[in-house]
Amino acid sequence: MNWNDYEAVWRRQEPPVGAGADLSVLRQSFEAKRRKLAATLWVRDIVEASAGLFGAAAFAAIARHQEKIAWPIMIAVALVLGVTGSFVRERIRTHRQKLGPDAPLLAKLEAEIAELRHQRRLLLGVWKWYLVPLTAAIVIVCVTISLNRPPWDLARDPRFMGSYFALVALLMWGVWVINRRAVRRQIEPRIEELEKLHRDLLSLS
Amino acid sequence: MTADSEREARFAGWLEEHGGILHKIVRAYAKDAADQADLHQEILLQLWRSLPAFREQAKPSTWIYRVCLNTALTWSRGTAQRARRIASGMDFAHIASEAASPADRTADRELLGQLYVAIRTLSDFDRALVLLLLDELPYREIAEVTGLTENHVGVALTRARKRLAALMKGVIDELE
Repeated sequence: MNWNDYEAVWRRQEPPVGAGADLSVLRQSFEAKRRKLAATLWVRDIVEASAGLFGAAAFAAIARHQEKIAWPIMIAVALVLGVTGSFVRERIRTHRQKLGPDAPLLAKLEAEIAELRHQRRLLLGVWKWYLVPLTAAIVIVCVTISLNRPPWDLARDPRFMGSYFALVALLMWGVWVINRRAVRRQIEPRIEELEKLHRDLLSLS
Repeated sequence: MTADSEREARFAGWLEEHGGILHKIVRAYAKDAADQADLHQEILLQLWRSLPAFREQAKPSTWIYRVCLNTALTWSRGTAQRARRIASGMDFAHIASEAASPADRTADRELLGQLYVAIRTLSDFDRALVLLLLDELPYREIAEVTGLTENHVGVALTRARKRLAALMKGVIDELE
């Protein structure tokens, strides 16, 4: 057996009977899939954006009831809105940079590597744009409220506040660990694999 | 003719003329019937979606190869489970059933089955290159589909061809 045999048998193959498509059925199926995908994306975007907006609104409501100490809480609102803005900016960037299905394979490969590297940067730097602003917002709100409570209030109890902040810190640490693990287990092996493929493709030896 | 009916007519024409490309790519990237049906549907969907962007600057076949191969590459990376299924393409029980089922033992089908199994064992990109080579596309067109320069196409094809030949030898030895 040699290459010519492979080429010959390849040429002689025929698509199976019924390999074509019934356009009306396809069209229905396409429309159903398109609508489902659009709905999924819409829900995802709304959930992501509204989670931040909800948090910001909750802090703003607290600020409204604490007129004397509203300004520190407004800083917290700005921090939460900043996190939401990061999500929205990221979504817009992904949408703009997406290559069409007709892009050359090498361009797709390079775009995928670039996207994975960007994801790695984002996840490794999650403390900068997510954990620190969110933690700072929570701390600002809690401390501001607690300082304006009477001395016998639970919110002034150092043990209670200490436990509360420890819980928040634990939660944030968990998010950081999960992100680092995702980078180590999923993103880095994929980047290495694609970079190797890229090098292999472009080497002339 | 409305834009919709024009789109439908062009799509039907593409399927009629180039349906073989879809069939070969589907078979090269998906192993069992369920996966093949899934990938076929996904490719049709992407082709339909990409139609309005087609501006006649490329040959329809080049466009179709690009869309189909991009879809197949994305699909095959879809889930780790699916990737594992494809990576374990050297499934000799499956080779035997695909290559020489009692119902079709013609030499052609047997060789073709072995060829597809070997192709599925190649890396994603080598698989694409081998498909384009077996479909006898000129280097210029392969360069357009892949984005490689014609020089690189020559080198990459020689390597992919060698890898396929080695795999075919392994598949045939195993079956004998």
